[in-house]
Amino acid sequence: MKTHYDVGIAGYGVYLPLYRLPTTEIARVWKGGGAGPNKEKAVASIDEDSSTMAVEAARRAMDMAEVSRLGAIFVGTESKPYAVKPTSTIVAQALGQHFVLASDMEFACKAATEAIQVIRGLVGSGMIQNGLAIGVDTAQGRPGDDLEFTTGSGAAAYVLSRSSPETLATVEAGVSYVTDTGDFWRRQNEKYPRHLSRFTGEPAYFHHVETSVKQLFEAYGLKASDFTYAVFHQPNPRFPVEVAHRLGFKAEQIKTGLLNPMIGNTYSASSPMGLAAVLDEAKPGDRVMIASFGSGAGSDAFALRVTDAIEKKRKKAVKVADLISKNTKIDYATYAKFRGKFTK
Amino acid sequence: MRRVYVASVGYTTVGDHWNKSILDLAVESGFKALAGAAKIKPEQLVVGNMFSGLSSRQEHLGALVANGLGLTGLPAFKVEAACASGGMASLTAFNMIRSGQIDSALVLGVEKMRDLDPGEISQALCTAESAEYTQFFGASFVSLNAMLARLYMYEFDVTRADLSAFPVIAHRNAVHAPHAQFRKEISYEDVARSMIISDPLRLLDCAPVGDGAAAMLLVSEDVAGDVNGPLVEIASAESATNRFSFYERDDMLDFAATKLAAHKALKSSGLSISDVDYLEVHDAFSAVASLSVEALGLSKRGQGARDAREGKYDCDGGLATNCFGGLKGRGHPVGATGIYQIAETYLQLTGKAGENQAKDVSVGLAQNIGGVDTTAVVHVLKRN
Amino acid sequence: MSISYWRLKDRYYRLIGVSCEDCKSEFFPPVHVCRRCGSRKLVDRDMPRTGKIVTYTELRETLAGFEDQEPMLLCIVQLENGVKVLGQIVDTTVENLSIGDKVKAVFRKIQEHGSSGQIFYGYKFVKA
Ligand SMILES: [Zn+2]
Repeated sequence: MKTHYDVGIAGYGVYLPLYRLPTTEIARVWKGGGAGPNKEKAVASIDEDSSTMAVEAARRAMDMAEVSRLGAIFVGTESKPYAVKPTSTIVAQALGQHFVLASDMEFACKAATEAIQVIRGLVGSGMIQNGLAIGVDTAQGRPGDDLEFTTGSGAAAYVLSRSSPETLATVEAGVSYVTDTGDFWRRQNEKYPRHLSRFTGEPAYFHHVETSVKQLFEAYGLKASDFTYAVFHQPNPRFPVEVAHRLGFKAEQIKTGLLNPMIGNTYSASSPMGLAAVLDEAKPGDRVMIASFGSGAGSDAFALRVTDAIEKKRKKAVKVADLISKNTKIDYATYAKFRGKFTK
Repeated sequence: MRRVYVASVGYTTVGDHWNKSILDLAVESGFKALAGAAKIKPEQLVVGNMFSGLSSRQEHLGALVANGLGLTGLPAFKVEAACASGGMASLTAFNMIRSGQIDSALVLGVEKMRDLDPGEISQALCTAESAEYTQFFGASFVSLNAMLARLYMYEFDVTRADLSAFPVIAHRNAVHAPHAQFRKEISYEDVARSMIISDPLRLLDCAPVGDGAAAMLLVSEDVAGDVNGPLVEIASAESATNRFSFYERDDMLDFAATKLAAHKALKSSGLSISDVDYLEVHDAFSAVASLSVEALGLSKRGQGARDAREGKYDCDGGLATNCFGGLKGRGHPVGATGIYQIAETYLQLTGKAGENQAKDVSVGLAQNIGGVDTTAVVHVLKRN
Repeated sequence: MSISYWRLKDRYYRLIGVSCEDCKSEFFPPVHVCRRCGSRKLVDRDMPRTGKIVTYTELRETLAGFEDQEPMLLCIVQLENGVKVLGQIVDTTVENLSIGDKVKAVFRKIQEHGSSGQIFYGYKFVKA
C-alpha cells in the first residue's frame, strides 16, 4: 500500500487511566488465589469511557503536533458508549475541529491501525493535510472469564501529516491482511464478548500477524534485523513474544513496546500505545515495525523510520513509562463499582 | 409613606408532616393568623414558597391558598426568592401597604419538603444555584456551603469547635420552643462527631429538612385600630442581591447582599445596628450564621463563630439571637423560614415568647437569605 | 437537559468563557455584561486549563442522578487568569487535597440519563 506523498507522524499522545487492578485480585475473587498472565491491568474510573480517554489522548497528540486544522478524525474502538452516535464527533467538538471527516471504526483490537491506514491514504493522496487516528477502549471481560485478567483501558492518538521536517517519523510502508475468522465476537446488545479459547491463538492471532508481517517484508524487501524496535498487538504477555520469535525478532527489539504485563490488553490502543513507548525513546534513523491484530480477523503491519524531529517533538510528550508508573491500586470491589459490574 | 404593623401571626410546628399537604399546612397557619385579628379582612394574599412545583407538582399557589382559606376572590400571588421567599413575600406585602395601595395583607410562607426523596430534596434546594454551572456538575447546596465553610475556617483559623457554636446554641434555644423541629440539646462533641455530609460540614452543622408554614397579618396605620392584640411595627424591609454564584465573587466570604440590605433597612428605619436587641439570622449552615453576623457588623470579620462560642449571641446575656432555635433548631421549611423569623420576632417584641422570651427587647432585625447570600432580605421591627 | 447541554457543549468541553472587548477582563461562566467596565461587548475566549484549588469538599449525599459517584469531590479552582470555576476533582482522595494545590482541567463524563439516555461530558479537575 503506497501513497502519492510521503506521510509521517506529526504528534502522538497516550492516555492511561490512573487505576490498576492487580490480577491477584481477580484470581482471589474467581479462582481462589493465584494471578493472571499479566501483573496488573489499567482500569478506567467511573466517569471515564472511550470518549473521554480519546479526547485526552487526542489533546496530547495535538499539543505535540502543533497543527491548527485537521481534515479527518477516526476513532477506532470496540467499546463505544453509544451503539448509535459517533465518538469521533465528541472528539471533534472537544478539539474545536469541525470541517473534518469524522467516523468511528470497529475491528476488534485493530481498529486504530486501520484508522492510521485510512488517514495515511487521505494525507498521502493530498486530500487532507492532517488527520487524527485514535485507538481507545475500555475493554470488558465477563466477570470470572479468563479474559477478565487482561482486559484493560487506555487510548493512543496519532496526528498524521504529509512528511516534512516537522514529522517525527515517516511511514515507509504498510500492509493489511484479513480473513473471516470467528475467534472472538460480541453480538449487538450484549455487554460482554465471547471467544473460542485456544482457537484465538494459531488460526487467529498467529496466522494473521505472521502473514501481514511476512507480506510487509516481502513487498518492501525488509527483514527483522532492519528494525531497532518491533511492536505487536499484545492480548497477553505471551503471544507477542512468541510471534516476534517466529518472525526472527530478538527480545531487545520488542522489550520497549511490550506493555501488557503492566496494563493488560488495551485493545484498539494496545499496539499503538506500544509504538508510543518506542517513540518516547527512539533515536533519529531508527526503524520501527508495528503489527496489530484484530479478531474477526486481520492484521495491519507498518514500517516507520524515526526522523531528526523526534528529539524536539517529544519534549512535549507525556511519556508512556510515566503514565504506567503513576498509578493507584484498587481492589475488585472498586473495580466492580467503576465498571458497572453486577450493578444491573 | 404609611406605617405598617404585624397584627397577628400563626404557624404550624416544623417537622415531618406526613399526613398534611402543602395546602393543609398553608391553611393551618393562615387560619391561625386570621384568628389573631378577626376584624381584619385582608385585601391581598402573598405566598412565599420556593419549590412547590418540584415538591408537590403544584404551582399557582396564590389562588390555591386563597381558595383553601375560603377567601375566593382575594387577589393572591406567589413570591419566589429561593430560601428568602418568605422574607421577600413579606417585603412585597409591606411595600403594598406602605405605599397606600392596600390596608391589609395576609403573608404566608410554606414549604412541603418531605414528599421528596433525599436526593430530590437536594436537587430542589439546588435550583437556587446555577443549573448550567453548578447543578450540572453535581454540586449540591450543602456542598457549596461546605466549600464556603472550609474557606472560612482556612482564612480565619476558625476551629471545629468554633464552628459548632451556632448549632449548639440553636438547639439549646429550641428546647422550649413548642413549634421547633428539634427540641433537644446537643453538645460540641455531638456536632463534631455527627455524620459527615459534605466535609467539613456534618449533619449537625446543617439546618434540617422539614415541612412547615407560617403566616402573618400586616396592616396599615389606618386600620391598626381594628386590631385587638399587640402590634409590632415593621420599621423597614429591604433586599439586595449578590453575584449569583459565590465562586463568582471576588471576596467569597463577604455577604455583600446581607450587608447592603441591612444598611438600607437600618437607614430607612432611622436606626443603627447597635439599637437592635433581638436578632434572627439565617443559620442554614454553621458558617453561614457566622458570616451573617459579620456582614451585619455585629462581629468583626472572621470572628462570628468565636463570638458565638464566647456567648455574644446567647439569648440569656448576649444579643438575643434565634431564641426559638433559628433554622437549625426550629427548622428550615425554606419558603416559610422568612415568615417564621418575623413571627418569632413579633412574639419576642410583644412579650409573648413564653419560655423563650428574651429580656427587654424592643428592636428586632431578621435576616433571611436565598442561595449563598445571593438574595438577602432584612426586616427591622419595633415594639409599638 | 439534552438540549441545554448541546447548547453549552463548547463551554463544557473546552472551557470557553468570554472576554470583554473593551477592558479584556475574562469571565467563566460567561456573563452578558462585563463586571469590570460594564461593557456588553463580550466575545468567546478559551480559559486557561490550569489553576489552583481555592476550596474543596467531599460530598457524601449527592444530587439525584450522581449516586454512583458518591463520595464526590468538588472544588473551586482559580484558573491562571484569576477566573474561578466550580467542578469535580477526580483521581484523588480528600486526604490528598489542600487549598493551593495545582490542578488541571480534564474531559470526563459528568452524568448520564440511565443506560438508554444521553451521556453528558464536560470538564473536571485532576491534580497537576
Ligand atoms: Zn470590560
